[in-house]
Amino acid sequence: MTDAPLEGELLSPAPRAPETAVAAPPGAFRRRALAAGQHLLGGGSTVAAVVPLFALLGMLAILFSEALPAIRYNGWGFFSSNAWVPGNTYAGSVRTGGVLHPLGAHYGAAALITGTIESSVIALVVGLPIAVGAAILLVERLPRRLAAGIGLCLELLAGVPSAVIGLWGVLSFGPWLAHHLYPALSHIPLGIFRGGYNSAGQGLLAGGLVLAAMIIPIIAATTRDLLRQVPDVTKEGALALGMTETEAFFAVQARWVRVGVIGAAVLGLGRALGETIAIALVSGSAIQYAGNIFSAMTTIAATMVSQLDAAQADPSGLEVKALAECALVLLVITLVVNIVARMLTRRAARGAALPVGAGF
Amino acid sequence: MQLSNPAGRRLLGRSLSAALVGTLACSALSTAAFAGTAKVTEAHKVPTAAQLKKSLTALEAAPSGSVKLSETGSSLFYPLFSVWAQRYPHSNVSIQTASTGSGTGQSGALAGTASIGASDAYLPAGDPSTLLNVPIVVSAQQINYNVPGVKGHIKLNASVINSMYTGAITNWDDPAVKKLNPGLQIPPTPVVPIHRSDGSGDTFLFSSYLAAGDPGSFVASTGPNTTVNWPDVSSALAEKGNTGMLQTCAVTHGCIAYIGVSYLRNAIASGLGYAAVENGKHNYELPGKGSIAAEIASYKNIPANGTISLIDSPKAAAGYPIVNFEYAIVQQHQPDPATAKAIVALLAWGMDSKGGAAPGFLLPINFQPLPANAEAVAINQLKSIS
Repeated sequence: MTDAPLEGELLSPAPRAPETAVAAPPGAFRRRALAAGQHLLGGGSTVAAVVPLFALLGMLAILFSEALPAIRYNGWGFFSSNAWVPGNTYAGSVRTGGVLHPLGAHYGAAALITGTIESSVIALVVGLPIAVGAAILLVERLPRRLAAGIGLCLELLAGVPSAVIGLWGVLSFGPWLAHHLYPALSHIPLGIFRGGYNSAGQGLLAGGLVLAAMIIPIIAATTRDLLRQVPDVTKEGALALGMTETEAFFAVQARWVRVGVIGAAVLGLGRALGETIAIALVSGSAIQYAGNIFSAMTTIAATMVSQLDAAQADPSGLEVKALAECALVLLVITLVVNIVARMLTRRAARGAALPVGAGF
Repeated sequence: MQLSNPAGRRLLGRSLSAALVGTLACSALSTAAFAGTAKVTEAHKVPTAAQLKKSLTALEAAPSGSVKLSETGSSLFYPLFSVWAQRYPHSNVSIQTASTGSGTGQSGALAGTASIGASDAYLPAGDPSTLLNVPIVVSAQQINYNVPGVKGHIKLNASVINSMYTGAITNWDDPAVKKLNPGLQIPPTPVVPIHRSDGSGDTFLFSSYLAAGDPGSFVASTGPNTTVNWPDVSSALAEKGNTGMLQTCAVTHGCIAYIGVSYLRNAIASGLGYAAVENGKHNYELPGKGSIAAEIASYKNIPANGTISLIDSPKAAAGYPIVNFEYAIVQQHQPDPATAKAIVALLAWGMDSKGGAAPGFLLPINFQPLPANAEAVAINQLKSIS
């Protein structure tokens, strides 16, 4: 009865009835008050739990209903055409297939979708190695004090507003790129580097690099936290087996944080896909396919911002609905990316010994 | 009238048909008036300068008590409006200004979020008629370029400018440009066409000029607008606001950009040149006091709702072709009388050549005061704001 509890019991204690834990049995009023408090807490947390779900479903539903006339009018051509033509808004609106539109109105988001994906891919390709490398450096190589200082700077950088970074891109980074990096890159004999560049430095590469600058802090900070969680015991065991530090890193830490780094990369990709003001300032805002890596392009989010005010002067309202259709497309892309990443991490996590780094 | 009585029925029938005929006649007359026979009636109705001055002064009376007005919109109008906001003589009216582009000016006025929406482009006809397009001042737009080493002004016409924006002309020493500029040395520089990324009255003016001067232009199918479908040119750039166009053109060799005349001095100071543009009579004119005045004088009839395109007049031999009214887009019915009075007072002061349209305000930005016919229209519109 009063034996020392066995290990098994310590890990999973037997449930005890609440009454025996209290000194004196509570009165009826106190019991009712406690029960009411339980219900309130339970109800409140249920509401809090379902609000995000309803918010997401509500957003999808509202966007879909707002965009429906544009979806019917544009059809599948929305994904294959790159022309963004509001039409002749000064000549009066006509009805085609039940949708009111100006003469000659024609909306295609192919260039926007391509631009969004291209700039985010460049951001990830440039930013992921730098961020992971920075995290490895901070955890494995640098002395503790220096790592703490640099780590703090990294976290502060993650909080810099995107408008500030966009302004830096326009005033300083873009012209610097045009004077120093682009001339060097244009000598590479690959197709995407041919065709010249403008001296303001605005375009796809500038946009991708600015996005990379924004996602590096997030990925680096997350990876650094993951690497810190790797138990020293496992590292020491690998070293004791005679591996070099590099081999130990790949055998132990890399395997440990692999899943989490995928999650962090998706986090960064999600930010890059939805980034608006920084890319709007630096991308050159041209609704067209990028001819080479230096030329001006635009993304869905940047176009929504730059076109919304002009769209509201369209008397038929079709341009606003076309922008809502763009928003729907961006939402769906972001959701798909997140779902795919979750599936990937779940599959990889099945083999992990401990749930470290899984479930992002 | 007794309907059971056949005589009564006949009388009823006759009076009804008389009323019907009368209504049809009235509507026929009014549509005829709209269709342009207003020429005769309006020519008689243009008041004298003294009458205009009297009406303006009456409208300039500011309300008592403090009123807050907000203005947003055209970056072309902004240099003037922001100075007005500081120098308006009635300190109880506080004016907030912002340079956000004509598209935002239009949408702000439509939504009611701004008291005055400044726009270089009048609203499309389908937008509610309770929104007034009040012309306030005359402005213009120049074509700037960054081609160092050119002595003098490059002559351009609508079809050459159109070719630069469609990518048909890719270099400044193209034969088509040389043909317009015999004897002018233009160094070979790749063309970088720059346009506005936001909803812009300047785009409306520029596309109006291209549509008027070149029947085969890329805006021919959809007409001029505050946003147009720019052709795919890999070197093209888009910027926000007149200031964005100016800054980017100043650092980009070979750029061609359409910028409002209120930034002409800044453009020249940044090293940009400005083109001599072909007008409706096929003469090449630079934007200046005389050429803008000549263009505006060739338009005798301004419609009562103020919406008229002044681009490429077929009658002004020495007129600069890209000229426009700056519009204040205002709701006809304001939420309270004090705001209505304040808006009317401010806009009337803005039109007054002793007030906001004094040479001290307008000369540095190359604007001009309204001609008498436009001022008459604007005064009528202001009187209807309540």
